Amino acid sequence: MASELDVGEKFALDGLDEQRHWQEVYREIIGGATKGSDVFFGHSIPRNDVLYKVRGRAKYAANVTMPGMLHGVFLRSPHPYAKIKRVDVSKAKTAPGVQCVLTAWDVREEGFLVGSLFEDTPVLAKTVVRHVGEPVVAVAAETLAQAEAALDLIEVDYEPMKPILTPQEAIAPGAPQLHEQGNIIADFTKTRGDAEAALKASDIVVEGVYTNDPIEHAYLESPAGISFWDGDVLTLLVCTQYPHFHHKQLARVTGLPMEKIRVVQSVIGGAFGGKIDVTIECAASLMTMKTGRPVKMVLERNEVFSSTTKRHAMTIRHRLGATKDGRLTALDMDVLCDGGAYNSYSLIVAGRCIIHSAMPYDIPAIKTHMKTTFTNHVPSGAMRSFGVIKLGFATESQLNKIADQLGMSPIEIRRINAVKSGTVTMTGQVLQDVGFIKTLDALEPIYEARRKELAAKPQTGPIRTGLGIASLGYGIGYSGVRNPSTARIEVDETGLVIANCGTPDVGTGSDMALAQIAADAAGIDIARIRVVSGDSTKTDDSGPTSASRTTYFSGSAARIAGNDFNRQFVEALAAKLGVSKGVVRLNDDQVLVNNSPMSFEEACKTIGSATKNIVAYGKFDPVNQLDLKNFEGDPYPTYTYATHLAEVEVDIETGRIEVPNYWAAHDAGTLVNPMGAVGQIEGGVVMGLGMALWERIVRKDGYIQNPGYRDYLLPGAKDTPTKIETIFVDNPDPTGPYGAKGVAEASIIPVPAAIAAGLHEATGVRPAKMPMDAETVLDLLDRKEAAE
Amino acid sequence: MAVEITLTVNGKPHALEVGSTEMLVEVLRDRLGLVGTNRDCAQGICGACTVLMEGKPVTSCLLLAAQADGAKITTVEGLETGGKLTSLQEAFMRHGAVQCGFCTPGFLMTATALLAENPKPNRDEIRDALRGNICRCTGYAKIIDAVEDAAGRG
Repeated sequence: MASELDVGEKFALDGLDEQRHWQEVYREIIGGATKGSDVFFGHSIPRNDVLYKVRGRAKYAANVTMPGMLHGVFLRSPHPYAKIKRVDVSKAKTAPGVQCVLTAWDVREEGFLVGSLFEDTPVLAKTVVRHVGEPVVAVAAETLAQAEAALDLIEVDYEPMKPILTPQEAIAPGAPQLHEQGNIIADFTKTRGDAEAALKASDIVVEGVYTNDPIEHAYLESPAGISFWDGDVLTLLVCTQYPHFHHKQLARVTGLPMEKIRVVQSVIGGAFGGKIDVTIECAASLMTMKTGRPVKMVLERNEVFSSTTKRHAMTIRHRLGATKDGRLTALDMDVLCDGGAYNSYSLIVAGRCIIHSAMPYDIPAIKTHMKTTFTNHVPSGAMRSFGVIKLGFATESQLNKIADQLGMSPIEIRRINAVKSGTVTMTGQVLQDVGFIKTLDALEPIYEARRKELAAKPQTGPIRTGLGIASLGYGIGYSGVRNPSTARIEVDETGLVIANCGTPDVGTGSDMALAQIAADAAGIDIARIRVVSGDSTKTDDSGPTSASRTTYFSGSAARIAGNDFNRQFVEALAAKLGVSKGVVRLNDDQVLVNNSPMSFEEACKTIGSATKNIVAYGKFDPVNQLDLKNFEGDPYPTYTYATHLAEVEVDIETGRIEVPNYWAAHDAGTLVNPMGAVGQIEGGVVMGLGMALWERIVRKDGYIQNPGYRDYLLPGAKDTPTKIETIFVDNPDPTGPYGAKGVAEASIIPVPAAIAAGLHEATGVRPAKMPMDAETVLDLLDRKEAAE
Repeated sequence: MAVEITLTVNGKPHALEVGSTEMLVEVLRDRLGLVGTNRDCAQGICGACTVLMEGKPVTSCLLLAAQADGAKITTVEGLETGGKLTSLQEAFMRHGAVQCGFCTPGFLMTATALLAENPKPNRDEIRDALRGNICRCTGYAKIIDAVEDAAGRG
């Protein structure tokens, strides 16, 4: 059972008295959000962690200081591909303040390789470095300056080799093999019917090659953590999307038994898929074991650029066929993808992309192929939508091309090809409760009205305006493997209720959503519930917070556990009072015994020490399976859908694009916390805008040329739409908690294609590469002018 | 080389000996324990380290501590008084203007300075004032809503 302090500890740097005071302030603030209501689900309740964030008292790992704490730093590879001939750390070891110098030779063999899906990445490089920024040596010293100074004293002799810089080079005959498994990470093909024959028989076929540059997650907080001994338990406080993964991995790396390790998620400054792999966890923990002292490691932003995972660069060759009345006939898609130097999540990205090839459309004939290779770039990994944003850019752009060529409305062509309840997907899954068409219906009147308004405005000067439409369908949870979530709810004699939930809150507010669901299911006030998440010893491994799965999976588990809590609580009280459980009720935070009321606290006091026997448990484990050999099966328990409308303004003299207005219609099931859901969509739209228009990692010869925000352009407050209107269609999902399903991640997917379509309507040019920066737009306009 | 400076931080005077290359953010976080001011990009672009110097927002990762000699500095910890939040802090909570929260202290400081100078800004003025702060989670709309609301209540 967690103590009150334990729970507050997760968020706040404050002591217990201060926390109590601020909890009162918080209750006053949320009181207004739930007044007059007997349910918490569906209300925009402000989050309790935000209380500490607005006061500057949030416990990000970089803000934690411990007595005797050392500061750790990495020495990183300066080469994209090189043999390591010699590592000499003797001078660094005796440098002022240095307490530990860790090399590959200090890591036990069983734990030498780590990784999210495959253990292929050395904790520290030993014989070879495969990308610039790969860690080679770690140093811990009394001060950060001493640790950094010691790095200069380390001598490493490298023998540089010719790096592989593109997937084409990786698959060329005679290419050096970067790993034992060869250079291929994934090579997937899926067919449905005869796509080639269907394309030949089509009235119209559009072709295109779509490309993108790699993207930085650009979470505001660089990876940070602090490892320390808590008694004989090696403890790691770290910003991560998946503490249980690190727990298991550390057991292997350190050789300690599982029960002697604890990984706790710190308050986390954004993630977006970028805090799901290993960064500082192993090195910091090993240096704590060597020195017996706490070790804090905080990456510098230029290290984040040079060493953490990126969104994959892809080349998508795409052919899409249709009949003359706009019915899609066939899709042929071939994708080549740069996976970078290690596996990370590339296999998952490839699998998800294959499954989503046709989404959200019903296409009778499909051939889709995806090949991902190793290169000597920093590893590509998970990022919001697991690659589907790039398919969306291609498929949605192609569909818009067909609509334009046939003179059809982009809404109508989507409506006649949309997946519906009962549609059988290319993996053979029969879709249920599909709300896609509702999102089209919701946007259509807005689209038509805005078209008329814009048509009435004369386009003078260099600014041209256009509207663009794009849609999405996105599977919730892991692709084709079961990924259960659990929740455990406990109570003590004072009435404090703890909901232990496996998936951590990565800044989205999922803890609040889980509290809302659990409170309703348990029949108690939300103010009683503390959600404990992201603690590897207090919660079960419920997978990472990723793939838009927390509300749906962990929310379902919280609902089951809440119902179980209500039942166990009633039984425990009845047993204590010696009455039949049929006369005891717990509802709306009110206990009734033979119709006479009793407060919840009083009931807990009455149950007394037997409260510790109330351990309510919920597990949600839908059966979703996919055969990876033929991509047949039901890969996801449910899907989320959306349609977006972008109003695009282009300056044809400068090439600059602005998006003054944006509408997003989503089928997210029933909303747990509408304010939170809107926030996820607005954030996704703006992140999508960044990828569509400005963001790119520039690489040359294996080196990142723009490792900082001065040269990597992020959207700011002035770049974003004046208005983003989010519309949720009414479409409860009967398989989700109170009808809810996931939403956060998917909102990014249609943004680039919607902007490209708006640009096309405004100017007649249609970009096929991201980012669609001013240079690209001007180049397209010039070429169009030359062609005319 | 060490430099002796004085700073008044959140109303409290400090006499400090600082390194000639030591940044204000380091002094605030590492010496004075005011870790609410987050540090990240070290280029003055993300704005997470924004504090007020004589009431004006500055990125404390780019300002030498020695340059702040004699100045009045306000950090996010200096906003609340007597256990009460400012209307801006409350508005950030109520409007969902905070997700991961790492950018939040910087936004609060910039917006505090804006409202002191221009108590009733319109949305364009708010967007303009916030241009030096990056948020990767919210898409800015709810932050702008919160500042607008706080101005209405203030």
